Amino acid sequence: MYLLREYTFPLLLAVTLHGAAVFALYSGWNPEQTRENIIQPRAVVANLLVLEPKAQAKPKPPPPKPAVQQQPKPAPAPAKPKPDPQIAERKRAEEAAKRAAEEAQREKARKEAERQERLARLSELAQTSLDEAIAQEDAALQAGTEEMVAQSYRLGIYELVRQNWSRPPSARNGMSAKLLVELIPTGELVAVSIVESSGNAAFDRSAEQAVRQARRFEVPEDNGVFERHFRQFYFLFQPEDLLR
Amino acid sequence: MPEQLSIFELIANASLLVQLVMALLVLASVVSWMMIFQRWFFLRRSLAEVDAFEDHFWSGIDLRKFYGELEGDEGLNGIENVFVSGFREFTRLSDQGGADADAIMQGVQRAMRVALTREEARLETHLPFLATVGSTSPYVGLFGTVWGIMNSFRSLANMSQATLASVAPGISEALVATAMGLFAAIPAVIGYNRFSARVEGLMKRYEAFSDELTTILHRAAHSKAAED
Repeated sequence: MYLLREYTFPLLLAVTLHGAAVFALYSGWNPEQTRENIIQPRAVVANLLVLEPKAQAKPKPPPPKPAVQQQPKPAPAPAKPKPDPQIAERKRAEEAAKRAAEEAQREKARKEAERQERLARLSELAQTSLDEAIAQEDAALQAGTEEMVAQSYRLGIYELVRQNWSRPPSARNGMSAKLLVELIPTGELVAVSIVESSGNAAFDRSAEQAVRQARRFEVPEDNGVFERHFRQFYFLFQPEDLLR
Repeated sequence: MPEQLSIFELIANASLLVQLVMALLVLASVVSWMMIFQRWFFLRRSLAEVDAFEDHFWSGIDLRKFYGELEGDEGLNGIENVFVSGFREFTRLSDQGGADADAIMQGVQRAMRVALTREEARLETHLPFLATVGSTSPYVGLFGTVWGIMNSFRSLANMSQATLASVAPGISEALVATAMGLFAAIPAVIGYNRFSARVEGLMKRYEAFSDELTTILHRAAHSKAAED
């Protein structure tokens, strides 16, 4: 009885305390998350650059920008040319005055007609440019979803290559090597070549090796998307987490 | 990379021995906290009782009456026990008659010493347990950690490619044991130091009181002997 009276409350307190500690650990402690953010920098930033289909020509194409860059821009309406108000009349003779007045009348009518016509043409132009803009926007929207699909596959490829890449000890910050990767629709690698060397042979080799080791990439089923984005693409290798 | 490892997953994935060590440490921690709370309340109450008792004792009350009040009481606290056992011995010996003043005083002192020893033991209950937890649980935790790391390195030996990712979870889960050991030990050590200091302070007051009582009883015994 004495024991019960003397120890129940302390035991309750102790258990509560430990429960609170466990709860605090459970709810507020996510060590891995913060550690992942701080200690694990990305080992490589490899950007996939899309090669435009027309740029498959012989000479190595200049590094194209990542896709989605053309924004629909409605064509600006042409400035309305101001007609020179040329209503200069010559008062040379009295008889001419009458004719001139007549002529002025005619001129006025002609100008009015001209103005009407120009107005009509302008509004037509505005209409067509609006249609064009809508069409362009639609296309861009479609291209946007396609770009999203391509981007997700790109991330997969990036991750695969990143895992395979073992940097040589001679790698330094600021180095970058650009590789041209060619695939076939099954995702298999057919060719990889160095487009821009980093200046360090070992680095270049390691980058090439990383791509070759993957051998097969996940690519979209859609043939059109594949052709546009994954038939040929550039891979940029940059070590970013080095301390030096 | 799998999802973030929570500390509970680490514990669940630990080997059996490490889990046992952890369970032991959690138990030690719970029990030592229980002791800490119990001692804390107990010692605080004892201090308040000493204050109240001394106030009462020195208020000029008649000692015989005071003794009569206390004697029938069941749950006497520390300093009251000292007083009652000393005074009881005194009344018994002096009522018996025939004993001289020095013999009475010797008896009284002995009785009070016994009471003091008993009170000291009562105050110090559980403190050895806290000391034990405080000094050994880091070692127990360390044992769990060493065992866990040993295993994680041993499994590393079988791998063809050693990566940090293959040892890190094992080491992490092993280190949880050390953390638990420290978690149990630190409050226990602090509690032990604090409570033993407080017990010492209380014992000083008990002893001082027993000396004062001895003086009073000594005076009484000798004046009585002079009367006879």
